[in-house]
Amino acid sequence: MLRCRDVPAEAEVLLDGELGFGRRVALRFHLFMCGNCRRYLSQLRLLLGAVPQMHGQASDEEVDQVLERLHDHSH
Amino acid sequence: MSSLHDDTSELAQLRSGDEAAFARLVRAHHRALLALARPIVGESEAAEVVQIAWIKAHAALKDFEGRAALRTWLSRIVINEARMMLRQRKREVFLEDMQPQGAGPFVDRFRSDGHWSAPPVNWHADSPDSLLTREELADCLATLLDSLPSNQRALLELRDSDGVPFDEVCNMLGVSASNARVLLHRARSRLFALVDHFEETGEC
Repeated sequence: MLRCRDVPAEAEVLLDGELGFGRRVALRFHLFMCGNCRRYLSQLRLLLGAVPQMHGQASDEEVDQVLERLHDHSH
Repeated sequence: MSSLHDDTSELAQLRSGDEAAFARLVRAHHRALLALARPIVGESEAAEVVQIAWIKAHAALKDFEGRAALRTWLSRIVINEARMMLRQRKREVFLEDMQPQGAGPFVDRFRSDGHWSAPPVNWHADSPDSLLTREELADCLATLLDSLPSNQRALLELRDSDGVPFDEVCNMLGVSASNARVLLHRARSRLFALVDHFEETGEC
């Protein structure tokens, strides 16, 4: 029987698409019964969706530097 | 904002050699690529690795088939460049030991019977974009990312920032799946705990 303590690790394997059928069923069953773990999974999904955007955009200076070197290289 | 979902008209412009589109690409992904290179080659070499990667990406864009997201494709180029630089300088990968050490995250958030003693609070954000609209939280997350051990950082960058499949991440970094799983879990849990604490207290 899956316990709440096991859910954070299992949830990540699920989100990475690596959780096998049996473990997926066990996790789904636990989530059906447990509101705290449902909240954990939905917020983890939201957090991981934000990771690609956590770096922000490069400054004009950084972009210019890259383009300048590119220009030098192609001439 | 960068995203793992590419716009098809933007892709067409990039393939046709549109320089303004390339500048937008650099703006969106440059910092994430630097963050990927740093834990592998170190701070001082990361900028050069990413610069060379941009030159190669620019030359190869016309052949980019769009089978992977652009960020994932760019990340593979950066990783190849980083490895090549390490080989040329006969240096080992900069990463810290890939063996997980110390206690795992969330140890104090469960009771002895396995139930939550401190369950996650209800976050205000309802989308990834809205999570980062609060400047103070976005700054705290950026600081935490910078403070992660290099092995955790490299895994998080490749898997969650750049969308590289899990097994490919393990191959790229030469780490076993079980160790990668533990290290990635630690990095993600620290991010989760930070947001959870911020949502509860308004402070990082």
